[in-house]
Amino acid sequence: MAEVRLVNIGKTFEEGMQVVKNLNLTIQDKEFVVLVGPSGCGKTTILRMIAGLEDITTGELYIDQKKVNELDPSKRQIAMVFQNYALYPHMTAYQNMAFGLKIKKVPKAQIHEQVMRAAEILNIQDILQKKPGKMSGGQRQRIAIGRAIVRRPKVFLFDEPLSNLDAKLRGQMRIELAKLHKKLDATVVYVTHDQVEAMTLGDRVVVLNEGEIAQNASPMELYSNPGSKFVAEFIGSPKMNFIEGKILLLDGQLVFRNNELQFDLSSLNYQNLKNHIGQEVELGIRSEDIYPTASNLKNYVKVKGQIIAIELLGNEKLIYAELEESSLIAKVKAQHEAQIRSSIDFYLDLEKAYFFSKENGQRI
Amino acid sequence: MKKILIYIFLSLAAITFLYPFYWMIVASLAPESEIGGLWFLPTKLTFASYIQMLSKIPIGRSLLNSIFVASLTTLGVIIFSSMVGYALALMKFKGRNVIFYIIIFTMTLPFQITLIPNYITMVKLNLVDTYAALVLPFLLNAFAILLFRQAFLGMPKALIDAARVDGCSDFRILFQVLFPNIIPTIVIVGILTFMGSWNEVLWPLIVIRDESLMTMPQMVTLFSVGGRAESQLGVKLASAVLLALPIMIAYAFFQKYFIQSMASSGLKE
Ligand SMILES: Nc1ncnc2c1ncn2[C@@H]1O[C@H](COP(=O)(O)OP(=O)(O)OP(=O)(O)O)[C@@H](O)[C@H]1O
Ligand SMILES: [Mg+2]
Repeated sequence: MAEVRLVNIGKTFEEGMQVVKNLNLTIQDKEFVVLVGPSGCGKTTILRMIAGLEDITTGELYIDQKKVNELDPSKRQIAMVFQNYALYPHMTAYQNMAFGLKIKKVPKAQIHEQVMRAAEILNIQDILQKKPGKMSGGQRQRIAIGRAIVRRPKVFLFDEPLSNLDAKLRGQMRIELAKLHKKLDATVVYVTHDQVEAMTLGDRVVVLNEGEIAQNASPMELYSNPGSKFVAEFIGSPKMNFIEGKILLLDGQLVFRNNELQFDLSSLNYQNLKNHIGQEVELGIRSEDIYPTASNLKNYVKVKGQIIAIELLGNEKLIYAELEESSLIAKVKAQHEAQIRSSIDFYLDLEKAYFFSKENGQRI
Repeated sequence: MKKILIYIFLSLAAITFLYPFYWMIVASLAPESEIGGLWFLPTKLTFASYIQMLSKIPIGRSLLNSIFVASLTTLGVIIFSSMVGYALALMKFKGRNVIFYIIIFTMTLPFQITLIPNYITMVKLNLVDTYAALVLPFLLNAFAILLFRQAFLGMPKALIDAARVDGCSDFRILFQVLFPNIIPTIVIVGILTFMGSWNEVLWPLIVIRDESLMTMPQMVTLFSVGGRAESQLGVKLASAVLLALPIMIAYAFFQKYFIQSMASSGLKE
């Protein structure tokens, strides 16, 4: 098994567009690392560079301590699973899985053994003689994963493998992939733009923004300690709420103020805010840290809003409300009474609030 | 009502197309004396014209020549044009588009313009009166290249990536991964090339003098124009039927693919 190390990796396409900028990333042996980010941020490009399907413009790529910049994809000991499966349409499932080994001139008996073992792991023994055209999306995905397993690679590369499946199957395959990782005990680089997938699967999640790493941390760390507004907004559902304002020093007191609310910051544990007096900031707060009552909160601020929509989730509901200048989504208990178009008071738990610089989006 | 009118119109159109063809076949089987007044069916069918033809010209040999030349050309075009189409569709190199446009441009040049330069080339290469002269100039063909390029562009990119990860060389990708998925295109190119090569008269007339190397259309043309048929219509018709036969058989055989490739390639991204 193997470590994958990207050192100052950059990618510029012929048209002069720089898609990946100076990327430094080490994926440890047997680690499941998820690359996540909005469409067009360069996830696929990074994965293709690791696979050897795309030339690396600058920097060095190491797999298992060996520099592989110039190595052929088939010699890098990687296997890749593609978004649209990319199975060979004219071959049966069995032939699809065996093809790579056949090219490597692996003896027939051994090919058979390896294919059957993979088929067993994925529970696809009964569709081995089918061609991809006659399979469901989930079955095709399994065969594609099987084709990867059969190669016995050091590193598995997945490019949005679940995005073509329906929601239910996606959830199911997500769990299976997590199990599979345990079973195979392999290094995995997994690309997705779905943050839920990233959070459930990854030992570590790398959030990308315009070809650069926005943050590289464990799922929990990303959620509870986002380094920038970009990450805070991207991770978590519903999205984090943001309220714009200014940090001011009034009568020796540190306050957050905008046209509709003002509150004292001095009792909070935000030392850094002192260095941003007079600057525009954004207060970020997650939906679950907004309450309809002040009951147990120590440090809070009350805001008044107008309910514009309610979404029932089961035992909880999302209340979409408009304030004077911003809007909020609050997650409250389903029992809590709320009427559309009525006004509501929200209590924001300030101990759970985040502050971001308006200028560069960095956490304060 | 409107539909019926359309069908009647289409049937008439079809008959005007088919009738001359039908007449040619029937007339070639009719006794010589009846051909002039033949309308639908002769009083009796006879192979007399065919037998006479066989005795007058070495048609058998020329038939084999034609099959050999057309098959070799077809095979060559499928292999070489698909290689060029592959490079133009899937490989990245400088000047790729320029080369493609030049190839497209050659499609607009009429054959007559290249006839003389081609002939001179054959003379200089000492290829006059060889099979090579009949095959070599036709081995690459812009239209086939274009068809292959389009077919390859229509294939999912990831399929090629997957093949690369599996360790395929470009040749293997082309012939083992892509070819089985573009059979309709291959058949179309094959039929068009075969027909083109089979029907070629002018070029063989120019580069082949040796009777034992002559292709069938060349032989038939020389035969019916050159007076050896002794203005016997039946014999001429018999040779014309023989000429058309292989193409008809090939078409009947591959018709399915013909229609299919017109409709779609059956692959989805
Ligand atoms: N072959 C190419 N030539 C030129 N530009 C390219 C090429 N491939 C990708 N790009 C550009 O690089 C950028 C990143 O593409 P990439 O496919 O890596 O994004 P992604 O993060 O995978 O997005 P998605 O979530 O939509 O798959 C995009 O702006 C894209 O237009
Ligand atoms: Mg992508």
